[in-house]
Amino acid sequence: MNTNLIDNYVSEVGRRLPRKTRGDIEAEIRSILQDMLEERSQKAGKPVDEEMTLEILKAYGAPEKVAGTYLGDRYLIGPRLYPTFLLVMRITLLVIGILAAIGLGVAVYQTTLTPLSTTIQIILKANADFILSSFSALGSITLVFAILEWALFHAGKQVEFKGLPMDKEWDPHSLLKTSPSNVVKMSETILEIVGSCVAIVLFNFYPQIFTFGIFSNGDWYVGLGNAAASTLLLSEAFFHFVPYLTAVWVLTIILDIILLRLGHWNLITRICLIGLRVINIFIAALMLGAPSLLAITAASLTPALGSSEAAASLLNILNILVRVALGLAIFGNAVEIIRAISRLATNEIFPQFAGKS
Amino acid sequence: MANESLENGILELRHGVFVLAVLSRLDQEQYGYSLIKSLAEAGLAIDQGTLYPLLRRLEGQGLLQSAWRVETDRPRRYYVLSDEGRTFLARLKEEWTAIVSMMGKLL
Repeated sequence: MNTNLIDNYVSEVGRRLPRKTRGDIEAEIRSILQDMLEERSQKAGKPVDEEMTLEILKAYGAPEKVAGTYLGDRYLIGPRLYPTFLLVMRITLLVIGILAAIGLGVAVYQTTLTPLSTTIQIILKANADFILSSFSALGSITLVFAILEWALFHAGKQVEFKGLPMDKEWDPHSLLKTSPSNVVKMSETILEIVGSCVAIVLFNFYPQIFTFGIFSNGDWYVGLGNAAASTLLLSEAFFHFVPYLTAVWVLTIILDIILLRLGHWNLITRICLIGLRVINIFIAALMLGAPSLLAITAASLTPALGSSEAAASLLNILNILVRVALGLAIFGNAVEIIRAISRLATNEIFPQFAGKS
Repeated sequence: MANESLENGILELRHGVFVLAVLSRLDQEQYGYSLIKSLAEAGLAIDQGTLYPLLRRLEGQGLLQSAWRVETDRPRRYYVLSDEGRTFLARLKEEWTAIVSMMGKLL
């Protein structure tokens, strides 16, 4: 018997198998091949030779094919995670695209007086940055999902025979409970995710973008696009709140992704939304009580407006506008809380009244 | 194309009965190769690439038990129905009878 050929074949199969089961499967395949050879030898009436062994190995199949039968279907990202993966990919591309467009706009605006060739270079560089950022972000997302798939695959093996927990928990009756007011609005949710991502990136990584300018008498006095004279629009007091706002934006993105995956609101997601809106109100109230959120001073406005009185009045108006904006934010969040509580009561706590209004 | 579809259809039909066929032969313990021969003698050809992974899966589900035993100077893995497997087989046989009866009415 040509044991060398069989050893090589078995180890070719084995190296494609997980370490955990490799030894056992290798021993089994060796045993089967020996049985097959023994039978073939008896039928042929001659001892096992190399030709016979080769025939048997050919009949048994290519090592990768044999190993594949033991492995079953394996995915980098399987059907369970694929829809979420695709959704996250699309949103990420959209966010990167918007950020790249903003960056490009700022870069081109800041170089309006430079030759056309420089502007083209900036556009090309922005495109290259966009492509590189896309590859990097999409690669990271793929890696995270691949790890998740691997973890789910191994967790799923434990319950393979009983069916996946997510399959067991699914109850078609839930479809009867889904009232129109509980359906997640895709466009609004995606817009909120994109907005939150843009806000996170801009406020955390590009705070210098928020500058203030006045165009008067054919010249920029302070502002965006005039780097030499630019003045930060938002004060240090405002940026103290950015970590808290970032936390809320991140939580909002997570909730939105969950909502997009579920397709409808439920008790937990409504409570999460109420919690986030309460935090928003709390932060806005703290901002109202904080020192001025604007970094602009009357002195910086005076050259453009001609007099210090006019500058002081404009600054006063701007500060009032900020307070009005914060007041509106509190009001808007309060309205959303009331609406969420009302839908929670109608659809989750007293479902018998759902759809009657 | 039609022939290929027919072959695939027959293959799928046969695949559907593999579990029942394999379990029905493992009332007494057998090693893999003897099981293939036993099924082939009864008219059901099943290749190794299908049988051995199937045996491992059934063992993983607790329907079969296996043990290595050294005979004629080399080890062989023997498979036999577990208690759970016996109950499972009985239930599957009932289902099979019902399917045959139903299909008899349909065809």
